[in-house]
Amino acid sequence: MQFSIILQQVVNGLSLGAVYALIAVGFALIFNVLKFSNFAHGGVLGISAYAGYIAANQFKLPLIPVILVGMVTGAILAVLVELIAFRWIRLQKGQLVYFFVTSVTMLMLLEQVLIIRFGASFESYPYTLVKVRVLQFGDVTISVTYLLSLISTIIAFSGLIYVLKKTKIGIAIRAASNDLTATSLMGINVNMVIIAAFIVSGMLGGLSGVLYGISASLSPQIGQIVVKGFIASVLGGLGSLTGVAVAAVVLGVLEVFLISTIGSGLSPVVIFLLMVVFLLVRPHGFAGVSFSDKA
Amino acid sequence: MEKAIVIDMKNLTKKFGGLCAVNDFTGHVKENQIIGIIGPNGAGKTTILNMVSGIYPPTQGEIIFKGKDISKLAPFQINHLGIARTFQNIRLFQEMTVLETIMTAYSWRAPYHFLETFVSLPRVARFEKETKEKCLHWIEKVGLGNEAHSITQSLPYGMQRRVEIARALASEPTVLLLDEPGAGLNQSEIHDLVDLIQGLFTELSLSIMLIDHRMDVIMRLCEWIYVQDFGKNISQGTPEQIQKDPIVIKAYLGEEIINA
Amino acid sequence: MTFYITVAISIAISSIAVLGTFMLTGMNGLFSLGQAAFMGLGAYATAILVVNYGLPFPLAILIAIALAISLAFFVGYATLRIRQDFFALATFGFGQAMIALLTETVTITGGAMGFSNIPRLTSPALAFISLAIAIFFVWGFRRSHFGKDSLAIRSNELAAEVEGINAFKHKMIVFVISAGFAAYAGALMAFHISYVEPATYGWILSVTWIIIVFFGGRDSLTGTVIGAIILLAAPEALRFTTAWRILVYCVIILLIINLRPRGLFGTWEISLKPFLRFFKSKKQQEAK
Repeated sequence: MQFSIILQQVVNGLSLGAVYALIAVGFALIFNVLKFSNFAHGGVLGISAYAGYIAANQFKLPLIPVILVGMVTGAILAVLVELIAFRWIRLQKGQLVYFFVTSVTMLMLLEQVLIIRFGASFESYPYTLVKVRVLQFGDVTISVTYLLSLISTIIAFSGLIYVLKKTKIGIAIRAASNDLTATSLMGINVNMVIIAAFIVSGMLGGLSGVLYGISASLSPQIGQIVVKGFIASVLGGLGSLTGVAVAAVVLGVLEVFLISTIGSGLSPVVIFLLMVVFLLVRPHGFAGVSFSDKA
Repeated sequence: MEKAIVIDMKNLTKKFGGLCAVNDFTGHVKENQIIGIIGPNGAGKTTILNMVSGIYPPTQGEIIFKGKDISKLAPFQINHLGIARTFQNIRLFQEMTVLETIMTAYSWRAPYHFLETFVSLPRVARFEKETKEKCLHWIEKVGLGNEAHSITQSLPYGMQRRVEIARALASEPTVLLLDEPGAGLNQSEIHDLVDLIQGLFTELSLSIMLIDHRMDVIMRLCEWIYVQDFGKNISQGTPEQIQKDPIVIKAYLGEEIINA
Repeated sequence: MTFYITVAISIAISSIAVLGTFMLTGMNGLFSLGQAAFMGLGAYATAILVVNYGLPFPLAILIAIALAISLAFFVGYATLRIRQDFFALATFGFGQAMIALLTETVTITGGAMGFSNIPRLTSPALAFISLAIAIFFVWGFRRSHFGKDSLAIRSNELAAEVEGINAFKHKMIVFVISAGFAAYAGALMAFHISYVEPATYGWILSVTWIIIVFFGGRDSLTGTVIGAIILLAAPEALRFTTAWRILVYCVIILLIINLRPRGLFGTWEISLKPFLRFFKSKKQQEAK
């Protein structure tokens, strides 16, 4: 392969990875606090992506407001998801499987809503939303939308780190991630902290939805990309948001190379086989994360 | 005559990443003997128990049970060989009745294959009946005779602890591992518990390895005690010896008391 | 009349798949997103063997089930030791891989366009008797110590392990049997509706079955069967499109889990005991 082609692939991979990183971090945030996998994050992402699309297409809003629409939609929807799908189970101290059922159900529900409203076809954000489409550096083309993703990810991530380390609510979220019971025993209103975590997660989801929608195209199944966020969370070591972000970027690069070598058709098969090999070789975890439920 | 050693723990070490939970522990349990492992919280006592019951493999060292090295076996295999345990934070099958919970301990002994379930229904029924009788017997033994058909999660904590013990007994073990059996109980409940354990020990000729951080439980029951602190063994001896050992007193109560 | 019978057969066949999920997810708490993939495998394997290779229907079904069981061994072995959410992810990946495989092997399977003109070999008798046998099988399974072990493992796997239950082996058995159920249902369905396409057998179908199990009540076999009939028949009666049907399922299950988490039927089971008691007391009366 020519060097410039490889470089192009790496650039594409990094751009895709940046979007994945946003998705993964939004997902991992809830995982850290509530200790379960919030598949509904994909649904939040999908609806927000379409909300941004409506803002851009029908209301002809420019880029920044469109992104804001996405983020606000995401935040509101995420809170609704927590209230409808998780709060009751948590208060009843329900078993883990119930959380899985409701979170997957919410993902499915939101996807069906999109199918009903928009049909099964693809949509695209208006071309005029981003003025310059590509930047050229010699043989390498960088899509401006991907660059946008990269920059947004860096800003969002830095913002998140700041909030988590320096603000009161951020510290409360970190405390809750560590030990929910202890946090509540210290007089902190855990329900509000959880809502705050969902708001942040929802904003990240909304942002990633809009950015992904702009970079690629929109279809009701867009929410399923949350799986990438899940995989990145696993590989990056649940508990470390930086690790998750890095793993997501690596995942993006790997995926671009995989698709360019064997095509997008068979890549799910290869990915699954890789997963199996991974599990067989290291069944006890990766980067300090235990794969088993026990003890 | 010298009693035979039933469980021999040699140089047991367990490391979790950088943390060394158990550091080179050597000890043994003899036939028909109650031994105790005590120490402040975090001393690694439960980890020793977890290694013996197969929940994690030791990083180093061996565990010999009746002449066989069990350190790499799975918990269910160790159970089949004759070791049963209770858990510090009760692990029961909350939605089942007490009887059903205890009957699960006999499940592995079922004399029928999965596919035979439909072919030999009489065999299934007979096994169920025999098991039920044995379990009712264990329920009586721990003093829960009236509660056989109560749902486990409806019982008060003290009774749930007894269900834990009955369930361990239902494995018909040679060795019983008790992990902080007195946790969460009040003084009079502890008193009853100690009597119960003493009674079971005498009647069933068990060997018992008992973990606790409460002195009163250990002192009354154990013949020999190992004292752990931060993963290391700092002392061992009879209850009288341990009570007077300055190293033990220091670990539990701190420097000031000695010098006071 | 034939329309109603056709619908009834579809419901009966789908119920067989739901019973597989009942054992796997309901009784054992294993949240698999890849059950539908086994149905797809069963459907396609049987269809290809009969239509392309002229094998007799019963033999093709057996081979398809054997194939599904073998695959289930492989997938189960790799994935059953890991924590529940990763297991969901792994089975999701498996489902996606199966769909991709069925789509890409265009020359054998017809690809995304599907495989059509499958002869209608599934008679009403075959469908209903299969369902009856499946129900009997699950009933027997639950009554035996395997059923009790399932509940133990679901409640507290570690406690079950220290009591001598080989949890991994148990889960493997359940996973393989459930795959067999799904594959068999797939075979029957393919030869009933005469057409199969890969996209049908994704995680959404798997989740639909899980919803049906939790709707009826994961602790009630009767509840699951009745729940399956209700949830599968209603959309036909109300003529919902697929998306609306799934949406309604989602809303229903969210209501159930929040308001009645044990499911519509809780732990209730249909039982012959009241009838037996009635006849016994009648006999005693007549004896006097």
